[in-house]
Amino acid sequence: MTASSAQPGYKLYWTVWAVLLTLTLVMLLVDQAPLPRLLFVVVMVIAMLVKASLIGIYYMHLRFEHMAIALMVVVGLLVNAAVLYALIVPDALQIQQMSMP
Amino acid sequence: MTTVADGAVDRWAGGVCPFEMGWRKLMMWIFIITDGLLFAGLLAASGYGRTMASVWPEQSGVFSIPFIAAMTFVLISSSATMASAVAAAHAGKTADVTRFVGLTIVGGLVFLGMQAYEWTHIIGEGATLTSNPWGDPLFGAYFFMITGFHGSHVLTGLIVLVSLLVRWTKGLSTSEGVELAGLYWHFVDLVWVFVFTCFYLI
Repeated sequence: MTASSAQPGYKLYWTVWAVLLTLTLVMLLVDQAPLPRLLFVVVMVIAMLVKASLIGIYYMHLRFEHMAIALMVVVGLLVNAAVLYALIVPDALQIQQMSMP
Repeated sequence: MTTVADGAVDRWAGGVCPFEMGWRKLMMWIFIITDGLLFAGLLAASGYGRTMASVWPEQSGVFSIPFIAAMTFVLISSSATMASAVAAAHAGKTADVTRFVGLTIVGGLVFLGMQAYEWTHIIGEGATLTSNPWGDPLFGAYFFMITGFHGSHVLTGLIVLVSLLVRWTKGLSTSEGVELAGLYWHFVDLVWVFVFTCFYLI
């Protein structure tokens, strides 16, 4: 039996659905709360990454696939995206500072 | 004794069944990663433009956030029905596959309809690719680019799902076909999670 042949039932998927919706509601509540900007961004990013992980792990079956595929996705997407941001954010901040009076 | 080389061969399975999955699914995963980088680039560009902008519009003043949240609800729900369709296909529950794929199509259509309504509203307010009444001209450009690219992916997903439904009812598709369509649809949902957070909320 291959790793991908182990299939979960409906219940798991609808439990994940409930968690995803709950997290979305939490994000909407946080959006209305008077939080400091940095804390607000950190909370939102964490909630976003948890939601994305739930979709990847359960809906896209990464949990049931070969570990190498999961690593390929994480390294391919997250690390590349992180490198992209790390390269452009300092540049954007520098331009912002230069444009300030 | 198993060597490192043996491990690599096991994992690749001689190229016949790489990573213990069929080549179609592997290709879909590679496509998803590359397509994901497209959206990462768009969102990164949006962040870049926003950081540089002297005045970036307050999202809640431009969009109806509860309406966007309702769009999110629809898309997440359609992902749950699609995941159920995949489970049904693997369990051999043919009627359930038809029902769940049909529900997923309805969810996708509702989402696209809501997006068309949102675009109509925003365009009606005077936003174009090069200007908008709320501040930095790049705001409109990024809005139309990011949501437009995502919407085109939803439309593509709908074409795939309708094609799948027709083929499934005729007995021409397999459980792997349902799973591949599901992977694509979940990817569309995954991208929306990032768009919703990075563009509409933060």
